[in-house]
Amino acid sequence: MELLTDYIAFWQDKYDSILTYTWEHLVISFVVMLLSIAITVPLAIYMTKIKNEQVKGLIFNIANIFQTIPTVALLAIMIPLLGIGFKPAVAALFLYALLPLLRNTYTGIQSIDPSIVEAAKGMGFSTFGRLFKVELPAAMPYVMSGIRVTTVYIISWTTLAALIGAGGLGDLILAGIGYNDKHMIFTGTILAIVIALLLDLLFHKFEKNYAKA
Amino acid sequence: MRKVIVASMLTVLLMIVTACGGNTSADGGEVFEYGAQKNTDPKIMGQIVKLLIEDQTDHEVNITEDIPASPQVMNAIDQKDFDFATLYSGEVYNNHFDEDQVEYSTDPQKTLEQAQHLFGEKYDMKWYDSIGFSNQYSIAIKQAFADEHGIHTMTDLGQVADQVTIGTDNSWIERDNDGYEGYKAAYGYEFADARGMDVALMYAAIASGDVEAVTAYTVDPQIIEYNLTILEDDQNFFPPYEGSLVARNAVIDEYPEVAEVLDSIVGLVSTEEMTELIRLVDMEEQSTEDVAREFLQEKGMLE
Repeated sequence: MELLTDYIAFWQDKYDSILTYTWEHLVISFVVMLLSIAITVPLAIYMTKIKNEQVKGLIFNIANIFQTIPTVALLAIMIPLLGIGFKPAVAALFLYALLPLLRNTYTGIQSIDPSIVEAAKGMGFSTFGRLFKVELPAAMPYVMSGIRVTTVYIISWTTLAALIGAGGLGDLILAGIGYNDKHMIFTGTILAIVIALLLDLLFHKFEKNYAKA
Repeated sequence: MRKVIVASMLTVLLMIVTACGGNTSADGGEVFEYGAQKNTDPKIMGQIVKLLIEDQTDHEVNITEDIPASPQVMNAIDQKDFDFATLYSGEVYNNHFDEDQVEYSTDPQKTLEQAQHLFGEKYDMKWYDSIGFSNQYSIAIKQAFADEHGIHTMTDLGQVADQVTIGTDNSWIERDNDGYEGYKAAYGYEFADARGMDVALMYAAIASGDVEAVTAYTVDPQIIEYNLTILEDDQNFFPPYEGSLVARNAVIDEYPEVAEVLDSIVGLVSTEEMTELIRLVDMEEQSTEDVAREFLQEKGMLE
């Protein structure tokens, strides 16, 4: 009981800064998501159309390399290029998000039954007509699950933004570790989990509605 | 019947596990555990403790590095996972005790006594007198920036605070006593912006000109490396963080020869010496073990 009243007092004391951290976290995550979806999904679609296996391999390898760079190292490289704060954080997280999104979308579109595409061709659909009327709707569950998985990753990775002065819930967690405050660690963690779950749920709803339509 | 078998098997398993816990060294002594935080000074101190104990007794010391911060080290001591560590006196103001238990002070002796008394009791450990170096918060700016504006003290910095972004570790902004809130109250000004970040990146940020000031620690060799100047804390705001060895009482009571070694480390390393040792590790990329061994040889404590 005392634990609970303590925790309520903590919120009353800190809710201002907690809200700021949450807001920063949301903004960074959203920008990273929009950027990476806008760039990666078309790229993945394009990749399913090209026949050159070497080019595909190269793109996957580059995305792979970005993901294996240790975080602090990547952030340190960012500082001379983009300074501190929002910009380098978004850039670093974008590079990390490339691979899971690319791989999932690519696999999704690849997995469409070729006979469906052939049938569409036979019915006289143009390349773009085929893409938007047949292939994308058929691949939608895969593409969406890629987006959902990546979103959950990004929400949790955004805690890294705190290492480079961009704020977010990671600030709260790291401050709690350094300042011996379990309330801060718990709050930062739980809010990140809640945001990730809510977004996942939202995408799930969207996907269902899309499937019905 | 099956329950009995399962229970006895578990008991045997437990006995094996606990038997493994009490490790024995090659010379028939104990293997003690030293825990070190992320920063380089507790790692160097770990090597000093290890080298001296292994040289002067039959026991061995195993070092675990990169524990995120002091509170986690204390918890591990409480769990008997660590026997020794290096901790800092100012930690006593770091949200560990109720306000009526601790009296906030910037006096090194008073801070040390409170840490020895309060932490010693809470974690059943001995908090030794200072090793001789202090690793406390300070504010550092580029020498060129200081010269340009004639800044020598933290009060002076107030005149240009509206053009200063400060880079700091993530907890300083949220700290009560010795954090940003307290700083604003003591000095009567605030910075244009305060950004929390990784300590290593904090120095990269001031080097690249992204921030004008950082909350440096007094032993950081980057202060010399990047030609920074530590501002005088003319309001006596930042509390002392004197480094001390700590050891579990159970260990030093049972092994007086170990206690003797630890006693000999009190007052051994000054802040200047520690800064130089950290510089050798962080900038010259020497191993903490080599640096510690050479230092002890110079002091004539090791052959």
